[in-house]
Amino acid sequence: MRRDRGRRQLALLLAPYVLGLVVLVLAPFAVTLALAFTEYDLIRPPVWTGTDNLTALADDPVFRTALVNSLLFGAVAVPLRMLVALGLALLLHRRTAAAGTARTAAVLPTAVPEIAYGLLWLWLLNPLYGPISQILRVGGENGLTAFGRTPPQWLTDPVDARAAIILMSLFTVGETFVILLAARRALPADVYELAALEDATAWDVLRRITLPLIAPVLGLLLIRDAIQSLQFSFVPALIVTDGGPPPYATTYVPLFAYRNAFEYLRYGYAAAATLLMLLLTVAAVALQWRLLRRYGRFHLR
Amino acid sequence: MKTLRKLIALLLCGVLPAGAAAGCSRDGGDAEATGPVRLLVFGAPEELQAYRTLVGAYAEKHPGREIQLIEASDRKDLLARLSTSIAGGAAPELFLMNYRFYGQFAVKDAIDPLDERIAASTLVNPADYYPVAMDAFKWRGRQLCLPQNVSSLAVYYNRTLFEKHGVPLPKPGWTWNDLLTTATAMTRDAAGGVIRGTESEGAARRPAVHGLGIEPSIIRLAPFVWSNDGEIVDDPARPTRLTLDNPPAKEALKNLIDLRLAYGVVPTDEEVESEDDESRFANGRLAMLLSSRRSTTTFRSITGFEWDVAPLPVYRRPAGILHSDAYCMTRGGANKQAAWNFLEYAVSAEGQKIIAATGRTVPSHIAVSTSEAFLGPAQPPRSAKVFLDAIGSVRALPTVSTWPEIEDVTGGILENALYRGDRLDDVVRELDEQTRPLFARGEYPR
Repeated sequence: MRRDRGRRQLALLLAPYVLGLVVLVLAPFAVTLALAFTEYDLIRPPVWTGTDNLTALADDPVFRTALVNSLLFGAVAVPLRMLVALGLALLLHRRTAAAGTARTAAVLPTAVPEIAYGLLWLWLLNPLYGPISQILRVGGENGLTAFGRTPPQWLTDPVDARAAIILMSLFTVGETFVILLAARRALPADVYELAALEDATAWDVLRRITLPLIAPVLGLLLIRDAIQSLQFSFVPALIVTDGGPPPYATTYVPLFAYRNAFEYLRYGYAAAATLLMLLLTVAAVALQWRLLRRYGRFHLR
Repeated sequence: MKTLRKLIALLLCGVLPAGAAAGCSRDGGDAEATGPVRLLVFGAPEELQAYRTLVGAYAEKHPGREIQLIEASDRKDLLARLSTSIAGGAAPELFLMNYRFYGQFAVKDAIDPLDERIAASTLVNPADYYPVAMDAFKWRGRQLCLPQNVSSLAVYYNRTLFEKHGVPLPKPGWTWNDLLTTATAMTRDAAGGVIRGTESEGAARRPAVHGLGIEPSIIRLAPFVWSNDGEIVDDPARPTRLTLDNPPAKEALKNLIDLRLAYGVVPTDEEVESEDDESRFANGRLAMLLSSRRSTTTFRSITGFEWDVAPLPVYRRPAGILHSDAYCMTRGGANKQAAWNFLEYAVSAEGQKIIAATGRTVPSHIAVSTSEAFLGPAQPPRSAKVFLDAIGSVRALPTVSTWPEIEDVTGGILENALYRGDRLDDVVRELDEQTRPLFARGEYPR
């Protein structure tokens, strides 16, 4: 009887979340999945076209570029973001005078609304008047750096623009940082005391104690970040670089899908691009999951 | 398989919101509703203020008739808002759109034709409007939208700066070479000396003032191609490809590219990213700017110098490009009669006088365009008649449903050509190759 009541309470508690999940995530996902196989322009009714959209995407050089950009972004930004978050967590886990302020500062950029964050970086990266370029030019002459080199052309050079988008993503690691901070603080102190007695170096402690103990959390966060990485790039690419410099240096799959869906009214085509992106994400997560399980088995032996 | 298709169609009709369901059950409805008429527009703050003035005047004249202005940040934002609101079953009753972009909505039957309402109107007589603007909004024989303006490209110039340096002012009939000579003479360093802007790439002194600002786009290039007796597409009525490989077009394109790479009279891409041409002109760092009437509202806030407009330079014969925006009524809008009442007022002589006085438009209403409301000397530009003189030689770009994509693709290629110096033949080939599939996918008004 008590068990039944417990279950009912659990179901009641879960109901709002499940409702939200179904209405806001699963149903739109199902519709998007279906629309990927139609020609749909948001105005006229969808027309079933089978796999035409997928075939067209395979032949679309812009989509291929967007896909490579997205994969490249994920491959570089995700490890870098994890490194930044881990570095901050290890630096700031001790109770020191300024640690609280520093932790707040580390989390703060994540709390800034995405559009405002993008607009802020648009100013920071302004090639002539932005503070980053101004600082890089200190000590140099005629617009060059102190080393006589041209500073990065954040908004006009394809490689530098890609770097700028990655740079922007490195400051929004607040959630990852908080989880890693909690994980680090939960590690048993006696292990570290033992390591100190054994005269272990800081590198040894990191390699042999901290990282192995924190690895399950790191693995989970890595998967989560890989899933989200495809979304991080959308607002910066829309607001800061507008998908350029030309032709498509910072056009990532989400921006490609957005443009096709809402600017060119090719919603079915955009849905197909989204579907492919989803499949790629699933593949990337499956690969990571496999690697992590292999790592887990190795360490359990 | 058929059952599966039916099932999916049923699911989509059920799940997709009402606007999309326009497809499942046609037409958003002629049923009259109450509530405000929503008008979707975009523009710079000064332009939006002009629309607020018009809406305010309408509200004053017709108390109780509420117009709700929905302000998009830019053209792409407007397209996204319009398409999603139609799909969501909450289409604004009216929207203002350039003829270059309305095709994708026209072809999808999202715009309510106005012929019957025009025929019954006492305020709108088609004969009162410039035909070139009216024709730009005709789709398969029907008048889908009514134009508020009939602008064309003009050369805005900083008159004070010209007089300071003693450089002759641009004048009607001037040629491309005159433009180049003038731009070169006006490209100056901080001390006021003439400077070669090409030195500014990467090192050395940057010009404090550039001679000219021009956006590397097909809509800026087209009038010069036409002026040089060339064509930008193979068939203006049903284009299948860009034809910038013909010698006159190629010459015009080369001259455009040379403005940056050979002569350095236009700002670098880095400089444009730092400060767009319109702001650069308003801040006195650009001697001339090729732009449409849209810039006038912004430039009227300039207090530091005097500015004016001149006609486009000519190659072989005068040619201009049509810039025209029109009020369109969505098929799915709820409050159609009220929407028509406002539309009728906005494009009527009275409404056009109000918006013309803000500086935003070259009125599409012939009588208003020649009235004091537009030509009056109280506000710049002093030579406003330049816009009217150009109307006789303006041409419209082809109307094709995929034009927004064509502009985006060509914009990127032309940007790289101007700033990066891509080979001319490669530029022409890329323009052709990348736009052919877009023309092939497009639908046409005729």
